[in-house]
Amino acid sequence: MAKFVVIGERLSTTAPAINRAFTERDPEPILKRAKQQLDAGATYLDVNIGPAENDGPELMKWAVELLQGNFDNVPLALDTSNVAAIEAGISVYNRAKGKPIVNSADAAGRIEYIDLAAANDAIVIALCNGEGIAKDNDERMMYMQTMMERGMEHGMAVDEDMWFDPLFLVIKGMQDKQMQVLEFIKMISDMGMQSTGGLSNNSNGMPKHIRPIMDSAMVAMAMMNGLTSAIVNPNDLRLMETIKSCDIIKNNNLYADSYLEI
Amino acid sequence: MPFNGKSGKFNAAIRTVEIGTGDKAVKLGGENVLPFYTFDAPIENAPKIGVMITDMGLENEVAGIKDYYNGCTSFAEIAKKAEEMPGADFVVLRFEGADPNGENKSVEDCVAIAKEVGDAITAPLVIEGCKNVEKDAELFAKVAEALQGKNVLILSAREENYKGVAAAAGLAYNQKVGAESAVDINLAKQLNVLIGQLGVDQGNVVMNVGSAAAGYGFEYVVSTMDRIKAAALSQNDAQLQMPIITPVAEEAWSVKEAMASEADMPEWGSQEERGIDMEVETAAAVLASGSNAVILKHPTSVATISKLIKELV
Repeated sequence: MAKFVVIGERLSTTAPAINRAFTERDPEPILKRAKQQLDAGATYLDVNIGPAENDGPELMKWAVELLQGNFDNVPLALDTSNVAAIEAGISVYNRAKGKPIVNSADAAGRIEYIDLAAANDAIVIALCNGEGIAKDNDERMMYMQTMMERGMEHGMAVDEDMWFDPLFLVIKGMQDKQMQVLEFIKMISDMGMQSTGGLSNNSNGMPKHIRPIMDSAMVAMAMMNGLTSAIVNPNDLRLMETIKSCDIIKNNNLYADSYLEI
Repeated sequence: MPFNGKSGKFNAAIRTVEIGTGDKAVKLGGENVLPFYTFDAPIENAPKIGVMITDMGLENEVAGIKDYYNGCTSFAEIAKKAEEMPGADFVVLRFEGADPNGENKSVEDCVAIAKEVGDAITAPLVIEGCKNVEKDAELFAKVAEALQGKNVLILSAREENYKGVAAAAGLAYNQKVGAESAVDINLAKQLNVLIGQLGVDQGNVVMNVGSAAAGYGFEYVVSTMDRIKAAALSQNDAQLQMPIITPVAEEAWSVKEAMASEADMPEWGSQEERGIDMEVETAAAVLASGSNAVILKHPTSVATISKLIKELV
């Protein structure tokens, strides 16, 4: 099996400093955060430019060229609801280190993002969701099937280029649903499909010192069930150590005494 | 839905490491497919063959090897003849006689031989030690210094002496560094990490992950190489994307099939042919398992393996 794919989540308009840097086209804060994430072991970087209604295409092109130019064609997840911006980003994207990821499609209003990914030979994150959060795994599976069919209709290699997101749920409020999510990851894995998701959502609202612990426990249990990727903060050391250790136990990475340092 | 044929080409590749200088420099590695899988993607740099000579001269060699070097009276002449051997890509000088438990030749004597050989040939040169870690560390540092500018491969840094050997060869004198482990996948990787942490560019490292003659624990060699190539290519493990070089001659010619005399084992037939068979079989098997270069010594073995490579790549 391939190594767990860490998608760094820290380039996002939800962070005020990054939002400002995107708006003002200020490379420095963006490059700094990108480097921190890559040094910590991120494979992909998520580039969340928000809805970017005015200048999405131009902004995404700028961000893709900035990041790939400075970090040896680092592979990127293009994260925006602005379709034109994703297309513009892909038009300047270098695939040497991996296909672009379209973040994200779902089984309802955003199903066309699958078509977009297929047309551009990109990977798509497919959220197993319709209108509102799925009530159980039967419903999640139905959404997943809908999206898989859509991918196949457009000629996608669904087992490689569709990464299904079970949608991690917040423990404070939906504690009783956590095992369901983990079971769904197992179902995705048993079908031979790839998976990913915003894992730290599970610890939302918890005290700051608790979150790395809860996220690490969640990633270990999820990896046991076959999760192949997650969108996380790679600068969470405990989390990254857990991921690297799980990759060793799963034989996704060959053990060497220095495995935590590389 | 249209059928999409899948290529076994990987998104990762083995690093290309060049040894030697000028027209005869050779490139090891560079492929992004399994060994000889040319139907998945072209293999730009075919596996290479090194011809081994030693500081002990020809006295202990079999007749076919003595005949080939007939008339050579100096190391320079032997080396020259070795580089001219049909099928040879580079020359390997092995300091068997440096062993403190054997001839215990001085480092100065060895350096003189290395210089003589280095000056005589234009083909790339690989230096092998005597396997005594302290002596090799001292010897390799001096040889790497004496052969500056020739881009030789020093074979090898081991767990016990990698700091001195890799620092001298890879950092101080800008040569290529061999990283040797004895059929131990975890150590093979760890050694590459450690050498990298010393500051040696990983593009200057070649691995010797160990060998054995076919039939002598060879399954472990094969599974080690398989796992390393799988990690390098399918798991894109940067710490294992170094090309692999495998010294075959010394293993193949030191097992009983190659050593027992015809007088002792008449039913086994010609001793020299048995040695060649062991050398050819072992070399073919390690190449099929992922070695990017093999080190041989008999002209018939070199010709045979050279033909095999030409037919397959």
